Amino acid sequence: MLGWWRQFADPAHILIVAGGRREDFAGIAHGQKIFIEDPRLHTVDHQREFQSYTGVFRGVSAWLAGRDHTHVSFCEYDHVPLSADFNAQQLARLAAENADVIGCQVRRVDGTNHPHYLYHHSNPEFHRFWEKITRRGDPEVVLSMFGSGSFWTRAAFDAVAAGTEPFRIYLEIYLPTLAHHLGFRVRDLPDQNPFVHVSPDLEAEMETARRSGAWAVHPVKKRWAREAAAAGH
Amino acid sequence: MHKLKRFVRDLGLKILRACGSTIIDAETGQNLGRAFLFPWRGKILVIGLDAPVRPVFRPQTRLTYWKQDLGFTVHPPPDFPRCGQDS
Repeated sequence: MLGWWRQFADPAHILIVAGGRREDFAGIAHGQKIFIEDPRLHTVDHQREFQSYTGVFRGVSAWLAGRDHTHVSFCEYDHVPLSADFNAQQLARLAAENADVIGCQVRRVDGTNHPHYLYHHSNPEFHRFWEKITRRGDPEVVLSMFGSGSFWTRAAFDAVAAGTEPFRIYLEIYLPTLAHHLGFRVRDLPDQNPFVHVSPDLEAEMETARRSGAWAVHPVKKRWAREAAAAGH
Repeated sequence: MHKLKRFVRDLGLKILRACGSTIIDAETGQNLGRAFLFPWRGKILVIGLDAPVRPVFRPQTRLTYWKQDLGFTVHPPPDFPRCGQDS
């Protein structure tokens, strides 16, 4: 997996954030790595159990302290870059959109039938929380963003990492909505949405997706499982 | 067991969508997909619709006391300017 990623980013700029088994973490042959111990990461039914990246964001933000990185490209292990200019394209789009956060399937979902929104809306504290922390005129806005990959300015990333979840909120709602209410501009990547979604493994589609303009594709899981098995893990 | 449940669920949704209606955005006319709408105990169950829609009563060019149209629409794509200390 690291070999693949080295084609798209300077290895010195890749931080591996692991939340699995300690012994697997010890075996990762890469300088920049951190281990996150957060039960909110280890969910089975991610949406119903409100999976959270707050621990991951905090860990990364702490690691970044004192370093001069200006942006964070956040990718789950199965969100696989395809374009040689992966980070340059994200930087260019962020600038073109004058945004602080870009990601796939960014939608406004308050007042809608969006299942994650309705699930949170059943908690009377949900909207009260945004009312308390918002810097915007309309506290009702709730955003959703696909969780597998997103691109952040350092300021937006650090501000969201510093936030405190008042109760459990699913990451696809919490991260974009918190960024929005802290005053950051969150934008969708409509041209990338066809390549990033919930579906069967897309390893066989990678080349087609790349030729169709995909910067990255999700999900690709089997490739890494096969690689790990071949390496005897 | 999980796969069987998933198969039955997907098949059920396919049938309900086929029996249902095409949902057209009440404001833009965009096709939002198909859903089965089912009145149940004073509510309307919306089954099988993937788009995040909001219910809206349609404006009426003719005043009628006996009928009103309930439609659906989606929020425009989020395009909020930066604000606060970081703007």
